[in-house]
Amino acid sequence: MPGFRAALPAALLLLLLSSFPPAAAEQPPWPWTPGAMHALNPSDRHASRAAWTALHYSNYHEASPSTLRALRQVLKATVKIIPGLGVKYYLQFTTEGYINGENAGSCLATVLYLKKSPPEVYIKCAHTQDKKQIQEEDNKFYHYLHHQTKPIIANNIPDSHGNIDRAHLPLWGLAIAGSSYIMLEKSTENLGYFMAQVKAVKQRIRKDSAVEFEFIVLLHETPTQKIELCHMHLIWTLSPPLRVKYICTSDNHWLEDGSGQDYGSAAGLFHEKEGNF
Amino acid sequence: MRALLLLAALGAVAAATTENFVGHQVLRIVPSSDAELQKVRELQELEHLQLDFWLSPRGLGDPVDIRVPFPSLQPLKAHLEANGVPYSIMIEDVQALVDLEQMQMLRRRRFMPFSTSTFDYTSYHTLDEIYAFMDLLVAENPNLVSKLEIGHTTENRPIYVLKFSKGGTNRPAIWIDTGIHSREWVTQASGVWFAKKVWADLTSPKGLANILDQMDIFLEIVTNPDGFVFTHTSNRMWRKTRSKHSGALCVGVDPNRNWDAGFGGSGASSNPCSETYRGPYANSEPEVQAIVDFVKSHGNIKAFISIHSYSQLLLYPYGYTTTAVPDKEELHQVAKEAVAALSSLYGTNYKYGSIITTIYQASGGTIDWTYNQGIKYSFTFELRDTGRYGFLLPASQIVPTAQETWKALEVIMAHTRGHLY
Repeated sequence: MPGFRAALPAALLLLLLSSFPPAAAEQPPWPWTPGAMHALNPSDRHASRAAWTALHYSNYHEASPSTLRALRQVLKATVKIIPGLGVKYYLQFTTEGYINGENAGSCLATVLYLKKSPPEVYIKCAHTQDKKQIQEEDNKFYHYLHHQTKPIIANNIPDSHGNIDRAHLPLWGLAIAGSSYIMLEKSTENLGYFMAQVKAVKQRIRKDSAVEFEFIVLLHETPTQKIELCHMHLIWTLSPPLRVKYICTSDNHWLEDGSGQDYGSAAGLFHEKEGNF
Repeated sequence: MRALLLLAALGAVAAATTENFVGHQVLRIVPSSDAELQKVRELQELEHLQLDFWLSPRGLGDPVDIRVPFPSLQPLKAHLEANGVPYSIMIEDVQALVDLEQMQMLRRRRFMPFSTSTFDYTSYHTLDEIYAFMDLLVAENPNLVSKLEIGHTTENRPIYVLKFSKGGTNRPAIWIDTGIHSREWVTQASGVWFAKKVWADLTSPKGLANILDQMDIFLEIVTNPDGFVFTHTSNRMWRKTRSKHSGALCVGVDPNRNWDAGFGGSGASSNPCSETYRGPYANSEPEVQAIVDFVKSHGNIKAFISIHSYSQLLLYPYGYTTTAVPDKEELHQVAKEAVAALSSLYGTNYKYGSIITTIYQASGGTIDWTYNQGIKYSFTFELRDTGRYGFLLPASQIVPTAQETWKALEVIMAHTRGHLY
């Protein structure tokens, strides 16, 4: 599968950068000279955070539950401050299958954190999995979902003990792929995310070739340690793009700042919908 | 042939019942010659012996397992020896095994372990189960293990610490705590495993035993009992304590921001609804105050290790400031060795360094306070994993996590013992 390019092709980005007027006096948060490339210790948390941002991008864009990747190790990282624009990370890292934990090859990526928009990512990964096998797995799952006569409903994936029913593994995968879109949009140089749990999932049966789900997912935000609750609506047609719409607790001040509350009331949303169904 | 008849006669006299298996043994014979194989086959003819073949004779090299009722044991063994047929005793007492199985079945139904050897270390447990485990451990070895109550939580639950000691008075000590953040379940589960491990090592001549010749070990398995119960009953993702301070809209304080080290500075929140809320003042949380009181009154703790999850990190102070601790070189070296030991078991990858450079700025943290109290070997662990399962680490990973972490703890403890101050 070809690597995906960021919305702005690299060349165009360079052109834009070179046409920028000299930056107004701006205090960079880093002790580094703007414009120059600075090597980072691969253990630096900013490097792993940027690598995960790149993986959120990839996991979303591949739209394939069988191809999800998790970070294994950052091998090389450099950073460059682009005055007036943002901070750009250049990364080389190894990955493993998100679901099976097996070696999934290494990736090269650039991540540009902007001031007022989601990060821009370019990522290209080596492929260690059999393309045909991936396609088969995704197809199998897709057809299983597509042929449901009763909507699939599930809660707590994984459960409190970290268990995931075999039958729910692909649901978990789809949730990760969709949540990756949310996590990508929210990621900044200083805020990172992991999908902590699928609190609830409910399928909406469709007559066309797409499969549709409502999810409630919990995202773990670092370093704030916050657990964000997001209601995510997802449509999958086997090939990208995955259509994702979402709203999270911090977006509409649903549950104040999240802490001190439990999620019973939000999970109850699904049950209500079931009643009306 | 005459010997065989004698054996048969003796067997006929024996009136073995099959109601219970007291004294029954299971013997194993592995025929290595045609003659031996023939002899074993002949045994099957002797009905009066009431031999129960679990594995019947097949060919050369194939094991034959026989359950032998008690009265037939001596005659059969004598017969085998007389004919030069070697055998071994596979099960010494069949009834004991049956009893154990029944106990285990009962235990599973009632969820109450009968001993620390039947406790299930591969599952997550409730507070009651862990507290029961502690009592069992103490009961099994009251001379070496004791349970101390160091305080009470907001919801009035007792806070317990296990003390492992071979004697002496106020020996230099090692402190380990798990579960300060309640949702980090692999830590309390590992704490339970550590308790058993310390106890097991106490009775073996090598390794830990020599640390315990000079030092005591204190282990607080559930450092945040109220939060832990809440993760079982209401919200699996609960992190903080369950205190309700006046005027606060939300419940709970982050116990790892409540210590008197850089309290009030950057790296903690003043918002009660935040997951990193520092609390109205340092040591506002009884869970924290209890440890502070204990450490101060003990006065001789030399290593302090506080365990969290997840991220796979080994950290030393400081979190509240970028200023390096005076002992940085040494702590960094110890961390390096500890991480190498940890990785040697399953290849699990850890990073290490000071809190502020490796993870993030955090003020009011546990080991910043303990270090400033003079406890040089102050470390924090972040156990498995790095985000895939996060707090919901599968129970199957509890024991491997505990085992590898123990390797790192051994390095820290050995270094402390070798460099007492």
